[in-house]
Amino acid sequence: MDGIHDLGGKEGFGPIEVDEDHVAFQHSWEGREWGISRCARAPHISIDWWRHCRELIQAEDYLNRPYFDSWAQTDLSTYINADMLSIEEIKTGKVDPSLAKNPPVPIKLNLEYLLKNHRENAARFDCPNVRESFFEIDQLVATNRNGHCGHTRLPQYARGRYGVIYKYHGAHVFPDLSAKGIKTYQNLYSVGFDAAELWPEAEGRRDRIYLDLWESYLTKVIL
Amino acid sequence: MSKFDPLKVTEIHQHLHTHLPSDSALRVKALESLLVEKGLVKSETIDAWVELYSDQIGPKRGSEIVALAWSDAEFKNRLMNDAPAAIDELGFLGTATGHLQVVENTPLVHNLVVCTLCSCYPFSILGIAPVWYKTAAYRSRAVRNPRSVLNEFGVEIDDSIEVRVWDSTAELRYLVLPQKPEGSESTDLKWLASLVTRNSMIGTERYLKINSNRDI
Repeated sequence: MDGIHDLGGKEGFGPIEVDEDHVAFQHSWEGREWGISRCARAPHISIDWWRHCRELIQAEDYLNRPYFDSWAQTDLSTYINADMLSIEEIKTGKVDPSLAKNPPVPIKLNLEYLLKNHRENAARFDCPNVRESFFEIDQLVATNRNGHCGHTRLPQYARGRYGVIYKYHGAHVFPDLSAKGIKTYQNLYSVGFDAAELWPEAEGRRDRIYLDLWESYLTKVIL
Repeated sequence: MSKFDPLKVTEIHQHLHTHLPSDSALRVKALESLLVEKGLVKSETIDAWVELYSDQIGPKRGSEIVALAWSDAEFKNRLMNDAPAAIDELGFLGTATGHLQVVENTPLVHNLVVCTLCSCYPFSILGIAPVWYKTAAYRSRAVRNPRSVLNEFGVEIDDSIEVRVWDSTAELRYLVLPQKPEGSESTDLKWLASLVTRNSMIGTERYLKINSNRDI
């Protein structure tokens, strides 16, 4: 999706505010939203659909509202889309009993439990079956020239460019289809690009940009 | 069941734009209240997650990983080859680190981590991401002009050093292994960890300093 979220290389955002308090949450509502995102996301959705719903936030809100605010709006949108919550309920604050009739039973967990079992939250996205890499390390590849209307993880700035396979990571859940509710696996590679291949003003700079890209984003280039 | 219809969700966002209170605190409160009342979540579990990431899990974990990698060559080897397994030895595996990768700074290489498409971050070893990491300014410029970004963080990078930018476009997450500062020959892990800053593990700091007032 060619949306506002795809920020790599976009200009006009000014300097970075580098100074800030080293606290996890600047405001208590940020902590609440973090907690909600960890234990109460809408059921039966993939992380890729959730990310896509966040990308669909109107540009002015996406750019100007605080980060965890956009998480809350994303959660609301996924619940409404799943018919478990309504705009009317948000407006009135009153629960409509016809929505979310048979909710999954939430579990009450305490800090001790979460700390002890935190490793269970290390979600894996790779395919349990061994796959073979299609590209060799150091293989020259070209990225797709175009994206598509749905969710994708090939950013605009790296489309139609030449890069080199740096590392193979096995097959991972393919986000473009996962965002449509279809779980498939596809080979994933780290691909390195010369800065000058991506940016006209970077000629002569030694910098390299690495992206993690799925096989169908890439085509082998034979010289 | 969820319908995967982007147009419908766009419309939902337009409604939310009109009807949600402007104050972020009220928005989140509205969400939490409705979820609790519908029986979709227990407030106590949210409390526990807040506590976990306010007090227990933060960049201190990352700095312990770095200190150990500096002092123990075998651990470093395991960390570079299979980071999730290596941090699991320390009990640090968790949210967003199931596919952790470690990239090492050297005298000729500097690494910088960003997520241009959202704001992916290795939560279980660095805690909640700093605000600047999630800004449009950082996300847009880190891949285009990393040296100017580093300058804003007070880091001067010589032209002879290669800057490698890692855009976290998949479920891999990145930890920068900074260089051990000169003069830090001590093997006291606690002391070594105290030299490591959060920003050095994201790549917006390069030259770590030894606090000369500190007892070794």
